[in-house]
Amino acid sequence: MSTMVTEGRRSSIAPRVASYLLMAIMAVLALYPLVWMALGSLKSGGEFYTNIWGLPADPQWRNFPDAWVRGGLGIKFLNSAIVTFGTLAITLPVTSIAAYAITSMDFRGRSLAYGALLLGIMIPFGVTAIPVFSVIAQLGLLNTRLALVLVYSAQAVAFSTFLMCAFFQSLPAEIEEAARLEGCTRFSAFWRVMLPLARPGLAAQAVFVGTTAWNEYFLASLIIRDPARETIPVGLVSFTGRYATDYPALFAALTMATLPLLALYLLAQKQFVAGLTGGAVKG
Amino acid sequence: MTGAPALSRAARARRLRTDLTGWAFVAPALLLFLLFVIWPMGHAVWISLHRWDGLGQMAWLGLDNYRFVFGDKVFWKAMHNTFIYAFGVTVAKNLLALGLALLLNRPLRGRGFFRTASFTPVVLSFVVVGVLWSWIFDPTFGLLNAVLWALGLQGLIQGWLSDPDIALYSIMFVDVWKWTGYHTVLFLAGLQTIPSELIEAGRLEGKPRQVFRHVTLPLLMPVVAFSVLLSIVGAFVSNYDLVRVMTQGGPFHSTEVALTWITTTAFRFNNFGKADAMSVILFLIVAVLGAVQFLLMRQRGRG
Repeated sequence: MSTMVTEGRRSSIAPRVASYLLMAIMAVLALYPLVWMALGSLKSGGEFYTNIWGLPADPQWRNFPDAWVRGGLGIKFLNSAIVTFGTLAITLPVTSIAAYAITSMDFRGRSLAYGALLLGIMIPFGVTAIPVFSVIAQLGLLNTRLALVLVYSAQAVAFSTFLMCAFFQSLPAEIEEAARLEGCTRFSAFWRVMLPLARPGLAAQAVFVGTTAWNEYFLASLIIRDPARETIPVGLVSFTGRYATDYPALFAALTMATLPLLALYLLAQKQFVAGLTGGAVKG
Repeated sequence: MTGAPALSRAARARRLRTDLTGWAFVAPALLLFLLFVIWPMGHAVWISLHRWDGLGQMAWLGLDNYRFVFGDKVFWKAMHNTFIYAFGVTVAKNLLALGLALLLNRPLRGRGFFRTASFTPVVLSFVVVGVLWSWIFDPTFGLLNAVLWALGLQGLIQGWLSDPDIALYSIMFVDVWKWTGYHTVLFLAGLQTIPSELIEAGRLEGKPRQVFRHVTLPLLMPVVAFSVLLSIVGAFVSNYDLVRVMTQGGPFHSTEVALTWITTTAFRFNNFGKADAMSVILFLIVAVLGAVQFLLMRQRGRG
């Protein structure tokens, strides 16, 4: 009897140890490249080659202002911020009001509208990059940040509406009905009652749409030609091309480009995990 | 509804108002979607029937561009690579993530930290990740070969991005690196919705394999479907950024994928007609894949 007990305990300890080991390996694999990037950004040009994985002997903090000035990173951060917030300013209201109509109004053609949007979820947008480029050129919007805002918003519409619909459906229908009985118009029922309740859904969506816009490279690299209008990902690639030999500066630029989103992620992990998994994980 | 008295005028007016308000509310979303998603694809079909450099006059070609595409060896190479990439990466991410999630699905201390850590690469852009890993893969000054050297594994040292036989797999590895943590978190969340009594009961009977096949996996299926759909569709697009940043499609087109070749055709060879013909073909393939997956998911949902 007693042997059986120890037997059972041993078999529950082994997988536990294995799990911890796996977790540790995964965490190191995920984080070490980033640590390596940060360390590299503090090395001098020569040390970069000779001391590949050690700590920097004499941290070169001026790599950061150097990279910032040479890469013109200030303007690129500003451009990325403009594009990201512009995209959010369009996507959040447009998709939440559409989702409200689809989930709580019985208008004719509503399944047609929803079906059309659902189709969009199945279209991976890189596939349409060259066609989108031609349309942007036709509209005279090449080389503008507005073009990026419009394109990113359009790409976010399908998935975001879908998410918001799921969110509104999870709210009890009586709330909206009560608001309507109190004499609210459709719009004020949406604006004053439903939208405030949808705040967690909006936050998750903002993370998803915002992160995608902030990190987008493909379309931005086609549409933006003027260095003064480049977003961070485009700017980093030009930086790589132009200062191909100054690696510590490149690593400093990479580190700076990574920091804002990384900091936000660490501050608001719940929202990030919920947002980036499309609400599949509740944070 | 048959035999019901005709709606009164007031009811009809109310009905019409609901219709109009409803459409007014969905109009902005639909408009954006039509203008920048549907219209470009329609426009691309039209352009693909012409010779066009992107600026000047278009000249009618009929289906010639499609014939050029089918005769283009690099395009087929690129399609081949795209498929290897999309399927390889999807299988690797999901299997790894599922295995990890099963192992980690127990109350372990430090699981929060693990989730934070393994989810971190998801937040980074492909550009940052691509530049960073180009350096890790660097044959002389890179971290990977330095680690292999230090471990005494000199035999494994490779030109990770310069060897045409390996380069594509190196890039795929980076994609898997970026996303495995994400899928693990997805699966873990799915596993947590399965009542633990079900699994415990099976475990006590000493049939963990049966439990997995008949309890865990079926209950996890919706999450698996979501996760696979996400990675396939994502992999058709994400490969552009990584390839552009890490190898530009080389060496010798060994890492060329459909999107990099389409972009090169449009902007380097100024052949928008052919580039759009390729976009249309790629679009159709992905749409078919998406539809198949969608139908499978719906069937699972019903059954």
